[in-house]
Amino acid sequence: MSETIKCNHCHGTFNKKIMIEENALYFCCKGCQGVYHLLQDDGLESFYDKLGNKSIEPPLLTDFDSSKFDLESFEKRFVQTLDNDFKKVDLIIEGIHCAACVWLNEKVLYDMPGIIEANINFTNNKAKIVWDDSCVKLSSIIDKIRSIGYNAYAYDAKVADDKAIKARRDYFIRMMVAVFASMNIMMLSVAKYTGFFTGIDEETKHLIHIGEFILTTPVLFYSGWVFFKGAYYGMKNKIVNMDLLVSSGATASYIYSLYILFGGKGESYFDSVTMIITFVLVGKYLEVIGKKNAVDTLDKIKSQLPLEAVIIENNQKKVVALDELNVGDVIELRPGEKACVDGELLEEKATFDESSMSGESLYIYKNKGDKVFSGTINIDSLMHYKATSNFANSTLNSIVTMIEDSLSSKPNIEYTANNISRQFSTTILLLSFFTFIAWYFFEFKMGFVAQNASNFEQAFIVAVSVIVIACPCALALATPIASLVGISLLASKGLLFKEAKFIETIAKANKVVVDKTGTLTKGELKVVKAEFFDENSHKINLLHALLDSSTHPISLSVKHYIKEHYIVEHKQLLEVKNIQAKGVVATYKNEESKEYRLLGGNKELLKEFNIEFDLPISNTIYLFAVNEKVVAIFELEDEIKEDAKEFVQYIKQQGMEIIMLTGDNESVARKISQQVGITEFLYGINPIEKANYIKMLKEKGDIVVMVGDGVNDAVALSSSDVAIAMGNAADITISVSDIVLLNNKLKSLKEAFVISKRTYKFIKQNLAISLIYNIITVPLAMMGFVIPLVAALSMSLSSLIVVANSMRIKNEK
Amino acid sequence: MNDVLTMMLIVGLILSFTILGLFIWGAKSGQFDDTKKMMDGLLFDSQDDLNDAINRERKAKEAMKPKTKSLEKE
Repeated sequence: MSETIKCNHCHGTFNKKIMIEENALYFCCKGCQGVYHLLQDDGLESFYDKLGNKSIEPPLLTDFDSSKFDLESFEKRFVQTLDNDFKKVDLIIEGIHCAACVWLNEKVLYDMPGIIEANINFTNNKAKIVWDDSCVKLSSIIDKIRSIGYNAYAYDAKVADDKAIKARRDYFIRMMVAVFASMNIMMLSVAKYTGFFTGIDEETKHLIHIGEFILTTPVLFYSGWVFFKGAYYGMKNKIVNMDLLVSSGATASYIYSLYILFGGKGESYFDSVTMIITFVLVGKYLEVIGKKNAVDTLDKIKSQLPLEAVIIENNQKKVVALDELNVGDVIELRPGEKACVDGELLEEKATFDESSMSGESLYIYKNKGDKVFSGTINIDSLMHYKATSNFANSTLNSIVTMIEDSLSSKPNIEYTANNISRQFSTTILLLSFFTFIAWYFFEFKMGFVAQNASNFEQAFIVAVSVIVIACPCALALATPIASLVGISLLASKGLLFKEAKFIETIAKANKVVVDKTGTLTKGELKVVKAEFFDENSHKINLLHALLDSSTHPISLSVKHYIKEHYIVEHKQLLEVKNIQAKGVVATYKNEESKEYRLLGGNKELLKEFNIEFDLPISNTIYLFAVNEKVVAIFELEDEIKEDAKEFVQYIKQQGMEIIMLTGDNESVARKISQQVGITEFLYGINPIEKANYIKMLKEKGDIVVMVGDGVNDAVALSSSDVAIAMGNAADITISVSDIVLLNNKLKSLKEAFVISKRTYKFIKQNLAISLIYNIITVPLAMMGFVIPLVAALSMSLSSLIVVANSMRIKNEK
Repeated sequence: MNDVLTMMLIVGLILSFTILGLFIWGAKSGQFDDTKKMMDGLLFDSQDDLNDAINRERKAKEAMKPKTKSLEKE
């Protein structure tokens, strides 16, 4: 039984034996210990009171070079200068999990001299920092944040961001004013309606009307302004929309109620005016906030883009910003780093991972003089290449421009709710008009309408009540509420929808196009077949030692396989030589000084050492030879992801067609598609051809969903109706996509379809409910049975039913 | 009877509009933008925290002044 204890800093529970012990304190790592003491020294212990029992993440390990934050290119892109020479930057702080973390960061920053403002938003982790550049530099600010265990990086806050925040705030205030008025009016209405049944003084009724008038006026003119604007723009474009219905109904009711207030006989409809505006405004607000949340989360996911490169000038290393790179500069790339501009290789040999650009899963071997593409990753060792274009003209950048063009021409499908509300509004306005005519000219007398009112008054009340009862409350709430429930359900499964409307698009889609590498497959090579010609443990130990001496992914895969199937002993090798693009050779001497010549690599390596090998194998292979004899052959393949087959099956079951596109060669494409069950696939196509294929499908009238992850998918994604990006996708890909799959699992991709279809079903149900409701109530209104009491009740009831129905989306199917 | 009602109505309306006004002031100054921070932040009201809040505002105001001060000196 192991005793577990909480770390004194991060409150994570771990086995007591592995903790760092210091007097009576326990820490899970040096990071926690360091930050704990720092907080004590700076007098910030109240952090732990605020933290309470919650636990946070241990401090992140970050690279401590923050000088790039002071570079001119960084400043140009991310920093704004305000009046009085203060500087402003927008950062995202990583590691924030609770309000205590927010408090700590703000406190520590404000305590720094020269900080004017440090405001951190808890919901989206965005921080706005304003500082005096003459007192403190941005790099020191970043260092300070890192010292207490968090990390910060800049993000490109578009100008639209600030405006969006103000717009949302504006909507919020208008909505709250309407809600405030509604609640107070309802209290007055209780008195009025009771009086309707038990009798009420004219004077008292008049008093109540005055109260209602005072509450309704701001609502109509301030909160209702949204609808007047919408109706105006609609009419300018000759469209009848819901805004017109709401604003005309509300205004007519208001004017009539004013007339009643100043001496007319009858009932006033002030409460209906307020309620219509409140319900419909709530629906609109829900739509507005739904949009912003997804975008915030995605800003958080984006990792840093490279901002600078290392060049060799006059035999000295120099760090320059990307914009300052010139054609002809000699650029240095460390292993694992991405090339930022196109160029020409200066080394004799190099290996590159071009999968994010071309989909090709095997590494590309290059010789001196070969082209180096921007966006590809250098694998093996430190190398140099000459830039042949600057950043603006590089392949990576040109893909970005192509995407921007695609996006601006992306059409939208006709959304069901918009269609319905247009026809609905026109119908109701017409019905109301006819009702007025019928009552005025043909003198109907029915229902509850005031007895002593004149013919004109009666006709007017009934006509207005038709509009009021049609109350698009339920209609206005139908889509937003269901969408909101749907989106939060999707988010809980790791699916981020940037906009609610994509729920409907996915539900209507009939073609699904998937990328192969990284989407259907894991994107890494794994051993699928191993053949041993001499299976003795000594040779296996030698193999393991040889594999250990290389960092090449193929070696790592084979080593993983060996470790899984055998127990190995470590052996010391001599004269280990890494031969680029071919493999590794080494020598081993045992106790009796017997020498073993070891070779591990591909066919070319064996050829170089004159070893015969003739078996025709199309997969990637790793051969191991000892003393000129082949001892083992390993075949490696890129594995398909779990649930890939189920996903393909599900799509087919739903009656949708699924097509696979890949830049890889035919044999690999055929093999993978057979494994997952896809019959239609295209291979060897480049990014532009992918995009053209999707455009062709759309021209035929298909609604296309595209799923991808590499930069090579980005152009195609931006041409599709709905673009889904896997969570590990490149930045560009994520930013052009409409939906992001946070956990890369194909099971979640299936959930995206299942939940979207379900939500859309409920949207249709809600619309049906609101229409049926109106089919029942409008005739009642036309016959004169509707008075303010009935109108108010029906509005609340219909809205409640729609909301309750939407909650059912969450119930397990 | 109606006089009482009138008085109550007037007082009630004045009170509620005042509260509405306060709400609008709070929303406009951005206090409602970050709901989680607002809710949790209510708990951070120790003496130190309140002093911190005042100092921050003072600091920001002073930082705005130096330009005018140096002009005056000249």
